[in-house]
Amino acid sequence: MKRKHNDDLWLCLHFPQLPVEIFTRGKTEKPVVVTVKQRITHMNSIAMTLGMQVGSSMDTAYVLCSNIVCFEKDHDKELLALNFLAQWAYQFTPNVALKSPASLLLDIKSSLNLFGGIENIKTQLQKGLLHLGYSAVLGVHHTPLAAHISAKTALPDVAPLHDTPIEILDVEPRILESLQKMGMRSLHDTLALPYSGLTRRFGVFFADYLQRLQGEKPDPQKFISEQPSFLSEITFLSDVTNVESLVFPIRRLLQEFCEFLMARQLKVSTFSFTLSHRSHKPRSFSIHLAEPESDAAMFLLLTQLHLEKINDVEEIDSIRLSARQFLSTIALSGDLFHGTRFQQKDGRMTSLADAENSARLTNILNARLGQDACFGLSLANDHRPEKAWKPVQQGSLELGDAEDNHRPLFLLPQPRALSSHNGKPEFSGDLLLLQGPERIDCGWWDTPIARDYYVARHPAGALYWIFQERPRKPSQALSQELPQKEQPWFLHGVFS
Amino acid sequence: MPAKQINDLHSLMQKSGLWRASSIECECKQGFSSGYPALDQHLPGAGWPLDGVTELLHEQQGIGELQLLSPALARLSREQTRHILMISPPYIPYPPALHALGIDLASILVVQANKNKDMLWALEQALTSKSCSAVLCWPKKINDKQIRRLQLASKDSNTWNILFRPTHAIRQASPAELRIHLSPAKYASLNFHRSIHLKILKRRGGWESDELKIDFDDHLNQQTPDFSELIIPTTDNVDYETKTQRRPMALPAFPAIAG
Repeated sequence: MKRKHNDDLWLCLHFPQLPVEIFTRGKTEKPVVVTVKQRITHMNSIAMTLGMQVGSSMDTAYVLCSNIVCFEKDHDKELLALNFLAQWAYQFTPNVALKSPASLLLDIKSSLNLFGGIENIKTQLQKGLLHLGYSAVLGVHHTPLAAHISAKTALPDVAPLHDTPIEILDVEPRILESLQKMGMRSLHDTLALPYSGLTRRFGVFFADYLQRLQGEKPDPQKFISEQPSFLSEITFLSDVTNVESLVFPIRRLLQEFCEFLMARQLKVSTFSFTLSHRSHKPRSFSIHLAEPESDAAMFLLLTQLHLEKINDVEEIDSIRLSARQFLSTIALSGDLFHGTRFQQKDGRMTSLADAENSARLTNILNARLGQDACFGLSLANDHRPEKAWKPVQQGSLELGDAEDNHRPLFLLPQPRALSSHNGKPEFSGDLLLLQGPERIDCGWWDTPIARDYYVARHPAGALYWIFQERPRKPSQALSQELPQKEQPWFLHGVFS
Repeated sequence: MPAKQINDLHSLMQKSGLWRASSIECECKQGFSSGYPALDQHLPGAGWPLDGVTELLHEQQGIGELQLLSPALARLSREQTRHILMISPPYIPYPPALHALGIDLASILVVQANKNKDMLWALEQALTSKSCSAVLCWPKKINDKQIRRLQLASKDSNTWNILFRPTHAIRQASPAELRIHLSPAKYASLNFHRSIHLKILKRRGGWESDELKIDFDDHLNQQTPDFSELIIPTTDNVDYETKTQRRPMALPAFPAIAG
């Protein structure tokens, strides 16, 4: 066999149990089977020990075991899982291709040095997959197709494929049947035939397939591109009724998520969970972070705080974690001697530990009290007292010109109407006007105000900032015969 | 008194570490100057204790309870990069007034927690996070066990915890580091001169004090920290590019004024 691409090395991950594992993720004590049209197609090892067989009907299965869990085969979910696995395998090599229905092809030639040899890569792949709850058969060969075949037949690395039975080949059933009729048993028999004869008999695609298999023709693969979003899902075999027991699956999802982030050197500022059940609408919640993070423990803490608030979910049969927006991590180098990290902020040296603590506090507070519960304060350029400030997100600073006039330390969100007696304002006692009036009359462009502000003292000693409304249209008020109608008084601030 | 006993007493007096009830000088940490010398001389360590719970008890809002703290808060906000957190203030802490008192607005964070339970939770989180220099809280209800927890947490994280409480809490025992009762000054004149009466109910190494009068506007008595040297941001020296993107926020809901 002549090989032109014999210095290439391909690793194939074949997932024979993928249809089952998308539901079980490797962790279950129950027999699980996957059916197509009420016939078993796949099953887990527990179902196999009970004596179930591929092709038997569900009736037979229920006779063998009554508490068997049955799922309809789900192609979309399989593809989703395969995509997820491809993204996961991206940490081993940038060249990952999908081979449906249940295989991945990894070009590992250039990764051998980094991982210290083929055996190391294989061990790490197996370990990682076991952690994710998937089981794969690995095959290594010089061409993608050959790697695929060695994975399917579980051959040792780069073993000759001559004895491979022809049923394993990825060709149309029609060709396979003809080959069998011709008396071909193994790949070796087929390869002994001249290509010209094969082309004439089976068409150009079969000959091409054999050439690509042997590396005589190039076999370009469509590699996955780095995915800008993360999605992973765990399905429960039995319905989960209390939210507390979700912590373990969530921890697992977050672990995967952080591996994803680490492999790409990314941070995330928002991610969301979806809790769903087949009988009602899925319920989702998002977790927003004050600062982008990539810390699994922090994520778990915030998720738990969120879960405590959820009390209207009765049953859950799957949980999904997704994230779309990412930010790249900026590597920060530590101080050589102290191990502390500093950054410049507003011209002051800020310890990064302080900044991290502060972001953490804001995250925790927002997670429990609501998204806008924690805010900073800022000035705004406006003469109207209620518009001379605004709440801002932590860390953003806006400057305005502060009034030079005396302002109270506390402002009422809404002015509070005061009763008045003989034109004098009262607030559980007569208010004594000390300073004023300060007329604020502006805002004709949106919400006009016309007020006379005074500083007033309560008999008990407290100082208040109160105002009296000005007549809206002074010309009208004057022209009419009405005596000076008493204008209402309002309390607007407290000199705390 | 026999000569020997007097000698013994003298030698005892020579020893350091002997605390005399007549003085508040004890081996306590240097306090953080309150900005009012008249107050500082009565506080242990000549200033506010920056780790521990300080309780301010007052009946009415608006007697100058925040203004009393403002010189210290202004210095804290400019000297430390840690935040000053206000948990559930009764009204909006008004930025123009804070700015006018020299407080750096960038260091102020306000937390709105409607339930008393959430408020105390937020307070404890803030104290244990070590990311705040001062935490001001207006709890609706708090008991001595809870204050004890806060006292330990604020000692541990070096955070000044100020609790504003109603006067009827005087009768409650409290493990707070410092308890001060505030009352409005009696005014006779019509002018805008402000002052506040305070009485230290509990302090480390000292007895209850007499009623003190702090004059906010008396500039001779009061050593206001010199902020002219500090960078007060003006439009000239602000780098507009460093501003981060802002998210418009809904106005937080403050409880309606009581009374």
